[in-house]
This record gives sequence, structure tokens and C-alpha cells, in this order.
Amino acid sequence: MKLARFLLGRIASLVFVLLVVSLLTYAVFVLLPADPAQLACGKPCTPERLQTAREFMQLDHPWFQQWFDFVRGIFTGRTFGTGGAQFTCPAPCLGYSFRLNAPVTELILGRFPVTASIALGAAVLWLLAGVASGVVAALRHGTVIDRGLMVAAITGVSAPSYLVGLLGILLFGFTLDMVPVSGYVPFRESPVDWVWHLVLPWVVLALLNAAIYTRITRGQMLEALSSDYVRTARAKGIGESRVVTRHALRNVAIPITTLFALDLGGLLGGAVITERVFSIAGLGALLMDAVGSTDVPLLVGVTVFTAAIIVAANLAVDVVYSLLDPRVRVGRP
Amino acid sequence: MALHHTSLTRRALVLSIPLAGLATALVGCNANNPKPGATSSSAAGSATSAAPASKGGTLRILTSSSAVNWDPAISQSLAITSLGLVQRRLTAWKVGSDGVTKVVPDLATDTGQVSADGKTWTFTLKDGLAFEDGNPITAADVKYSVERSFAPQLSGGLGYHKALLVGASDYSGPYDGKQLASVEAKDDKTLVFHLNSAYGDWPWIVSMPAFSAVPKAKDNVKTYTTTPVATGPYRVSKTVEGTSITLERNEHWDPKTDEARGGGPDSIIFQLGQDATVAAQRLIADSGDDQFAFGASFVPAAQLAQVQTSAAKDRLVTSGPGALAYLAINTQAKGLDDVKVRKAISLAVDRNAYRVAVGGEIAGEFADTLITPGIPGRKQYASLLKDVAPAGDPEQAKKLLAEAKWSGRTLKFAIADDAVSSAKAEAIQQGLKRAGLTVTIVPLADDVLTEATTQGDGSKYDLTLGSWQPDFPSANGNIQPLFASDQIGKGGYNISRYSNPKADELIKKATETTDPKESGALWAQADELINADAPVVPLIYTKNSFLHGSKVVGFAIPAFPAYPNYLTVSVAK
Repeated sequence: MKLARFLLGRIASLVFVLLVVSLLTYAVFVLLPADPAQLACGKPCTPERLQTAREFMQLDHPWFQQWFDFVRGIFTGRTFGTGGAQFTCPAPCLGYSFRLNAPVTELILGRFPVTASIALGAAVLWLLAGVASGVVAALRHGTVIDRGLMVAAITGVSAPSYLVGLLGILLFGFTLDMVPVSGYVPFRESPVDWVWHLVLPWVVLALLNAAIYTRITRGQMLEALSSDYVRTARAKGIGESRVVTRHALRNVAIPITTLFALDLGGLLGGAVITERVFSIAGLGALLMDAVGSTDVPLLVGVTVFTAAIIVAANLAVDVVYSLLDPRVRVGRP
Repeated sequence: MALHHTSLTRRALVLSIPLAGLATALVGCNANNPKPGATSSSAAGSATSAAPASKGGTLRILTSSSAVNWDPAISQSLAITSLGLVQRRLTAWKVGSDGVTKVVPDLATDTGQVSADGKTWTFTLKDGLAFEDGNPITAADVKYSVERSFAPQLSGGLGYHKALLVGASDYSGPYDGKQLASVEAKDDKTLVFHLNSAYGDWPWIVSMPAFSAVPKAKDNVKTYTTTPVATGPYRVSKTVEGTSITLERNEHWDPKTDEARGGGPDSIIFQLGQDATVAAQRLIADSGDDQFAFGASFVPAAQLAQVQTSAAKDRLVTSGPGALAYLAINTQAKGLDDVKVRKAISLAVDRNAYRVAVGGEIAGEFADTLITPGIPGRKQYASLLKDVAPAGDPEQAKKLLAEAKWSGRTLKFAIADDAVSSAKAEAIQQGLKRAGLTVTIVPLADDVLTEATTQGDGSKYDLTLGSWQPDFPSANGNIQPLFASDQIGKGGYNISRYSNPKADELIKKATETTDPKESGALWAQADELINADAPVVPLIYTKNSFLHGSKVVGFAIPAFPAYPNYLTVSVAK
């Protein structure tokens, strides 16, 4: 019961946050001097034709009304134009991309599985690699293994993903010819090709992200291992592996979970650079494309969707947190 | 295709396959140029037939674009690129063995019969033409295609016809049941166009996407973008949004009726959203399917250097000198209305430094006139910069400035806020400094820049950069948009805000002349007249470089446009 109330409250605040995000996004894009109607004006572009395009795209309305139409469209859908050639955007309508001639929701849903494939695969890899190497470094504190892992971690944190991606493509794609250098195959079409095309992006992303997890795990682990409760556990004669996994690691899991959910949420909103380098058409590529072509409806739609995922990830953190740590369990005063 | 600022380029990249640059064959002076038209070692089709060098196989096209919009009303695609594979128009572009692009009949039996006053053009459709579903193509289908280009839902395409057809300014498309009377389908085969004024280049205008055929019964504004009804050698068989488009052979296309298209490969796959660097690396590596591929994007500068020293050198095709890159001087700005000051700026510019900034010799040839090379009628004449060293003549510039009593005010140089534009602008800024001219570079977001230069009173800039390749190979498409006074501040590309009644008169006369030889001479006159007023400083004629795989044959770049002719590319077995 308490949990239900907690969740309802959180969802209400989530909706509020999204409304504010969409309002700000709208204001930013509309107040910018960019004119999306220029895109649809054709060549040569006359002032009359520009005005027609503006009216059709409903850009001649004041910006707050445009925002209101946007929000309403999420619930009721929208139509553009009249007569025999309407563009319809069924609910939940996150806007209509006139450039790609498609509802933004449709575009996002088409791209999301691609981005999710990259993000989830990479996340599993970096979580396993990061936590494992962090624990090893902590247990072998001060040894060559520890130093080696820390140097690798610093390199990983500081390496630009664009460079690592390109080097990966050069080495594994061209020189060794082991993996395809670009593209994406849906899981449904061929699970093997799906993995094959994603292995390199996964590894590249995991390499960069795992480093942070290594450092955090190591730091937290060292702290936990020197804490009173671990000493007590050892004094009670509990085996070292049990001390590490049940007592120390469980405490380490709390900050790691927070970080992980937020990282994953961010990545689900589009792995912009990775998608670009590997020529994979995910949400990040869609966003870049929208930026490059002043496709404002698409920009707003993707931004709001991404915000929704991050907010949802935050909610997930709160829930998981309370499960992991009885001290912050919901409903406690 | 206008390359006016990067913004337009970028938009064009999205609307269609990119179309930029230009090629060899200086029509007026090709004595030094025995092999006009750049082609790879595997030669293009012969002059009289579009028969492919090889039949069958799958051709792959790697492009950075994320989509191809197949709707003929929305596309700005050139006649010889993507849309040309799927949709035929009234006329088409055919590249001769001399590299010169000519307008040839496509759906029509000829390139149009013109009335004595030059205002009425009549076309007759060929016999036996059919859509991909087997239904015959009629004059009504072409009329409908032109009409739908006026619908606000379908704006964004090449719209040169919109200002020319009678009654078109009040017309908003066929979807509310109205027709455009000036496009007349007399019977199933005969089409008549009624124009506001004589227009000699109308045969080129009807080679644009809007003049293809769209069957009314199959028209759906929402899906035509991805699934058009094909009339050309290929139909769109599969689209994976953002990833790939597959074209398969259209069995109802009859090669005997088509002199522009080869129809070599059995299928063509566009790989979308390709990173230009990675795509170039793949083409250099030339392994697997990439042997059957070519890149639709220019080879990036870093790979260009890499290719020149590698085995892939033979598979790099660089166009001849093409699109004119220029420095526009705002002729309405204070002090710049003095032709002496503008000439001083022209002399002070260091064209060599500019070319170094954009990649050196392979990036283009020095320019001193306005009409793009490869365009009929182009003439080399004694222009201001003809005998001036590429590095400029700052001493002479100083003298002119002193004569003009130049105020010495700081010039605002508006450019797009990207690295390439900055490098170009700095090269020019330093050149002008040698003559004592001070320039502040003002980087602006693409849209803001477009608005500042093409709309309003132009008070926000003194100098700006432009690059222009006409949408059709007539000097008309070159001179009129950039220098006619009615193209100032209303969305047109006269960004030097040049207004000269004499030039306007000459432009009008040349536009209305229907004999290509006569009009060519008039355009050359206009070039000389306008250039003498120095509203722009011609910098270079840009060259474009493309890579293709080892099994691609017939990959050629015509004299115009400096872009590969997709219609005649095929793959070896």
C-alpha cells in the first residue's frame, strides 16, 4: 500500500518533469532564430511559399499554443492540412517530421530497438567487467594487478569514443577482418548476425564505461573491506569469499546500481557517437540527423522521449535502492 | 544545387542524395583539355546508346544521407542521381562521350515544340510506356505530377516551374479537386504548357523531378515518400528506415525507349547513414560486397591524402572544375557601393590561401569568371582577376582604396559557424589585411546566416561566402539566381545584393531566347558585364572526389554536374 502510494507520487512528479522538459525544449527551439519552414520551402524559395509552408506546419501559431498542441497531440493525435491529402499523426503523437514524412513516435519506435540492442549488450558487458575488475583490484590492493587495472581504467575513462571506435574498426574490421564494420541486423532476422554486427560497438562502449565502474567498485570495496562489520564478520569465522560477496559487495552494489541505471537510461536515449561511427541507425543517429537538418518536431520528440527514459531510470533507481538497502525502505519516517 | 553556405548543402543531403560540384570540359577553351569529362579507367557508355557495359549483379551505393525522399514533388535530386533510377521525366540528361551533358527526350518523343512567342511548349509522350504495375503512362499522369508539386503538403522540391506557369501563383495543388489550367493534357499523349513569358530553358526545367508521372489512383502523400510508382529501370522493393533501400528491376521498363539509362545491375542497394570516413576506408579496403559499391559522398580530406599514395588511387575519380566558390560583397553596404572598393577587395583576396584552406590543388582550380565550367556558352575573357596571381595584388588594391577614399571601417564577414568555414574566412581575412582592410569574422548558425543573407535588408553583413552550382546546365541557372535584382532579400540567392538595370535587361533577354546558341552568347555577355562590377570575388571552381570499388564499371563524372552519373553505372561479374 505504501509502495503503491510512493509509486503514484513518483509517477505524478515524473509527468510533471516531462511537461516542464517539453515546455523548455519547445521554448528553446522556438525562440532560436531557426526556421524549420525553410526546409520545406523548396528551391527557389519565395516569401509567399515560405508563409504557406509555415501555415501548413502550424508554425504561425504562438509558441505556447504550439506547445499546447504538442502536449494535446500525445493524448489525442494530430492532423496537418485538409482535404484529400492530410498528414495524420495518431496518439501518442510526439510531433510530425515533415522532412521524413512520418510521425515522430513511429520513427522513435522504429529506432528504439536498435539503440536498446546496443545499450543493453554494452551495459551487461561493462557491468560485469567493471565490477569484476574493481573487486579484483581491491582484493589485490597495492599489487601490480591493482596498478595495471587502474592504469587501464584511467585510459578507458579518458579515451574519446570516436577514436576508440575508429581504431576498433580499423583493427578488427579492416586489418584482421573479423567483424563487420558497420550496419545493424535485427534480432528477429538473424540472432547470429545481430550479435556479429554489435560485438564491436558493445566492446567499445563497454571499454569506455567499465573504467568508471572499476574505479568506483575498487574504492567502495576498499572502504567496505576495512569497515567494522567486515571485521566482525571475519572475526565470526565466516569464509573470505562469503565476506566479499555477501557483506562487502552488497554495500558496493548501492552506488553502482544508481550509476548503472542512469548510465543505461542515458544510453537508451541514443548512443550518438557510437551509432555514428558504426553507421547504425539508432535514436542517436536520428537525433543527429534532426539537428543537422533543423527538423524541430523530430528534435523535440526525441528530446522528450529521451528525457522520459532518464526520468524512468531515476524511478527505477529509487525502487531498486529501497530493495537493496533496508534503511531507505519506502515509508520509513 | 546551391552550395550557398553549408546549411543548404546539409539540407540537400537529407532531401536527396548530395549533389554538388562540377567537372572539366571548358567548352570555350578545351584545346588544352583533350579528355573532358572525368571517367575512371573503366570507361563510360558510348555516345549514342545508354547500353550498360555489363548486366546483372548488385550495385551498392554508400551514402551519408539517412533517407531518400522518392516523392518527385519534394525531391531536389539531380536528373542523373537516385530519383532518376526510379522515375522518368519528360526529358532526361545524357552524358556524351565528350563529357558534355545534353537534354534528351525521356517520357516525351522530343525535348519540346515551342510556339513562335516562346510561351507555349508542347510535348508528346512515347508509345508503349508503362508504370511498374503495367498500366500505361498518360499525359494526365504527368499533369497530375506537376499539379501535386504545388500542394503545401509536398513543398520542398525544385520549383523553378512554379513562377513560370500561368496562374500558378494562386494554385495550391489537386487535393481539393482543382486543376492547373496552364498544364493541359490534350489527349492521352499530348501535353501543353502555357508560360507567363518566353523561357528558352524549359526543356531543362521538365527534366526535374516534378515532371515525372504519378498515377492519381495510386497517390498517397504519406507513402509516396518511400514507395513511389516506378517508371524507370528500377522500383523500390524494400526500405529499412535509416538503414537501407533496395531497388529491384522494373520489368515494365523498356530500354529501347530510354536513351539516358543503362539499367545494368539487377538490383541496387543504398546503404544509408554511412559515416563518410568509414565509407571511404571501406572503399579503399575493397573487400567483399564493397567491391561492388561506390561512395555518394565526397571523399574526406584525410582519406583523399591516403588514397593518393595507395593502390586505391585508380578507383578515385576527381571531377573537373565545377561549382563556383565565391566571396560575396554586399553591394548595398556603406562604402561597398563603390565599384573601386569592390575591385580593391577582389585584388586583395588571396585565392591561393583560400584553396590551401580547403585542401589544395585537388580541391579546385582558380576562378576568375562567373559561369560554371561545362556549361554551354561559357567564355573566357579578360576579367579583372585573369592575369592577377592567385595570391592577389595587395599593392594595386591599396591604390584603388586610396582613390576611392575608403573610410577604413571594419567589414563584417558573416559565415557559417563550422570549422571549414572558419578556415576559409581566415584565409580571406588575412589576404585583405595586406591591403589595409580590417575584417571581423561573424560566425552564425546556418539558419541565421541564410536568413541574414537571403532575407530582409542585408544590414547584418558586408561580406559572406557562397558556392553555387546551377540545378541545370544552362548559364541561366548560374547567373539569374545570383545576380537578378528580383532575387534580393526575398529568399533568393542574390547575396551580394547586386542590382543593375542593364544586367537585369540582359538576363531577361537571354532567358526569353529559345535558341541555345544565341542565349549562350547573351549569358556570356551578362557574365562579363556583371563581373566588371565586381559584386563577387570568384575564388575557385570546386572539384569533387569520389571512390568506387574494383568491380564497379562505367563510373563517370560528366562535365556537368560534377557528380557521378548513377544511371549508367553497372557492376562486373
